[in-house]
Amino acid sequence: MMNVRAGAAILAARGISRGLRLLGRGATTLPGRAAIRICPQIISLLAKDQHVIVLTGTNGKTTTTHMVSGILDSLGFVVVTNVSGANLATGIATTLVEGIRIGRRARKTGQKTIYVIEADEAAFAKVCGPLHPMVCVVTNLFRDQLDRYGELAHTQAFIAKGLDDTDAQILLNADDSLVAALERGREERVTFFGMDKESMARNIVTKAAKSALGETTADASYCSFCQTKYEYRARSFGHLGDFYCPSCGYGRSEPTFSVSYNTDINDADESDKDRKEKTPGPSDVGFPVTLTYRGESITVGLPIPGLHNFYNTVAAVAACVALGEKVREPSLSFGKVSMGVELVRPAFGRMEKIKIGSKSLCLLLVKNPVGLERALSFVSQASDADGMYLLLNSNDADGRDVSWIWDVDFESRTYPEKVFVSGERYGDMYLRLAYAGIDKDRMQARPMEDCGSLVDEALAECGDGKCLYILPNYTAMLALREILVKRYHLKDFWK
Amino acid sequence: MQEKIRLCHLYPDLLNLYGDRGNILALMRRAGLRGIDFSVEAVSIGEEFNPDRYDMIFLGGGQDAEQNILRNDFVAVKGTKIKEAVAKNKVFLCICGGFQMMGNYYEEHDGHRIECLGALDVWTVGKKNRFIGDTVYTCEILPEKNTLYGFENHSGRTYLGDGVKPLAKVLCGSGNNGEDGTEGAVYKNVYCTYSHGSFLPKNPAMTDFLIKRALEVQKGEEVVLAPLASDIEDFARKALPTCKKS
Repeated sequence: MMNVRAGAAILAARGISRGLRLLGRGATTLPGRAAIRICPQIISLLAKDQHVIVLTGTNGKTTTTHMVSGILDSLGFVVVTNVSGANLATGIATTLVEGIRIGRRARKTGQKTIYVIEADEAAFAKVCGPLHPMVCVVTNLFRDQLDRYGELAHTQAFIAKGLDDTDAQILLNADDSLVAALERGREERVTFFGMDKESMARNIVTKAAKSALGETTADASYCSFCQTKYEYRARSFGHLGDFYCPSCGYGRSEPTFSVSYNTDINDADESDKDRKEKTPGPSDVGFPVTLTYRGESITVGLPIPGLHNFYNTVAAVAACVALGEKVREPSLSFGKVSMGVELVRPAFGRMEKIKIGSKSLCLLLVKNPVGLERALSFVSQASDADGMYLLLNSNDADGRDVSWIWDVDFESRTYPEKVFVSGERYGDMYLRLAYAGIDKDRMQARPMEDCGSLVDEALAECGDGKCLYILPNYTAMLALREILVKRYHLKDFWK
Repeated sequence: MQEKIRLCHLYPDLLNLYGDRGNILALMRRAGLRGIDFSVEAVSIGEEFNPDRYDMIFLGGGQDAEQNILRNDFVAVKGTKIKEAVAKNKVFLCICGGFQMMGNYYEEHDGHRIECLGALDVWTVGKKNRFIGDTVYTCEILPEKNTLYGFENHSGRTYLGDGVKPLAKVLCGSGNNGEDGTEGAVYKNVYCTYSHGSFLPKNPAMTDFLIKRALEVQKGEEVVLAPLASDIEDFARKALPTCKKS
């Protein structure tokens, strides 16, 4: 039952949304902020009795949220989701208010409504309980903006708190030791997803060792329970892999939902150009991956390329199936959900390709070391890459500390001949690339105010039918997107 | 004979906070471009540390959880050998948490005191609010280009005892404690700073200074390094944020 306060909060939020739209502005956080101020329980009141899936983790939550939404949409459900990474309490409240009308319309057409909510890791502790989720997904825990979130152990504690405020089914990444450790004390509610360990063993991770510098991103190398160094039977990337503790015996659990593949993947240097052009790799849309659940296996084309998206894909499928089982919804069977995967399109700023005349641009948002390594690996393997453009900002939303670029293994990959650099911290990025051995004659580095004209130059040097890969961090992407829309008369391609 | 520098990277699997690795890349690069053979060895928990094997020792920063894992090994197991390396004038670069652990103690904000190595007479008091942001310092031990650029992120306030000098003076940012305008510490050939991440890449004069000191200690005589361009670093330095009030 809605109380008077909640009613006032909803009206206020709607009024502000309408006002902002009339001004031609997006309304993602302000309406929710007003609603929470008027009625602090608004999230709980609106989410109660709804079918809610909540997703969190440092990397891939937007993509996974987007995949879950895409799958559910293709199966005839009406989805309410927070777009554009509006993943704090305010953005979530805005989404829930909008959801009231969407849900009402859906009931008229006889469709069911499902809420698919992405939550920031730090916000998760507070919003998870009030959202009354049926299913929670934790994608992974990588180092991310230390000046904002503090240590990874804190992030893990935030997530644990959020999980304990609900009785949701919990889906955890089996290959991430920090995430998997959240199973302790919650065994009955946990289901694991992860990569098939034989596939993992095929992934030849050669990087770091080469430069005698040790691992580049050594998060979570010690056991969560006894502080002994983990050993790995196989790795996928970062600290994800088939880990075990030689001292206390803690180790990876066999995932209930798994993803596997048949091709050998060399994740590091891809210098053999012939091979690259003939065999489809994980950087290609449609790369075949096999999803397995309780003995049933289905092979699908990867909807969004990249090795990290193997995880996002299996997590999304697991979330839909888990919800289906919870609410006894036959249309969310493993088979039907898996078929929905191929209909998913990239989320904004993540692997979007935009045609510009005979060439294309591809935006890959990069926020932290592992995200950037994934993107670099992707670009070095993309057969159509002709130019790479990195943009680095250091606003609050990006993290003010840009030192993390030094943790990224730039050294062991080969890149397109021309490299472009901009952003408020173009000097830092230029230095990093130069120290990685990219000759200064191959680079153009300009301040942020020239980032648009640098796109023109980069496109002019890009061959017909080829693609310029742009890797911005968060606020750089927001700024660049606006410039691209104006410069190339694009529609709002980020909707 | 080719010149050689051997660096020991202590606990690289635990002390690797944002970008500490960049400092080693910088040393490798500017030594390598001068034809100096530069090698890196990792020494972690339970592994032997022999000070005579190395010319330089690098100790980075870590998250609290990780520092707690290694503290006993650092203080109780390797402590004597590390102090021996300090006494033998080996060149140390210690960043943030590494800087704190070389000192006498770290007092947490609730008053609980954690004993540290005591290799140099500095001590640290933890506070709740953190010093976070871009920093600029001026460093008098460098002959030229003595403006240093960094980024700090620490809640500990560090104070220097009598025989210890600051590495630099703060132009912007907070430095050791936000009170006395000092940044970092120098004792014998131990160089400490709160600037983590890309400290040496952005400050080639400092990189060169450390390489020179390492060779001098090794040879027991004054060394003049071969001149080396720093146009790439200078380009980046010009683009770095200048002092602005935060």
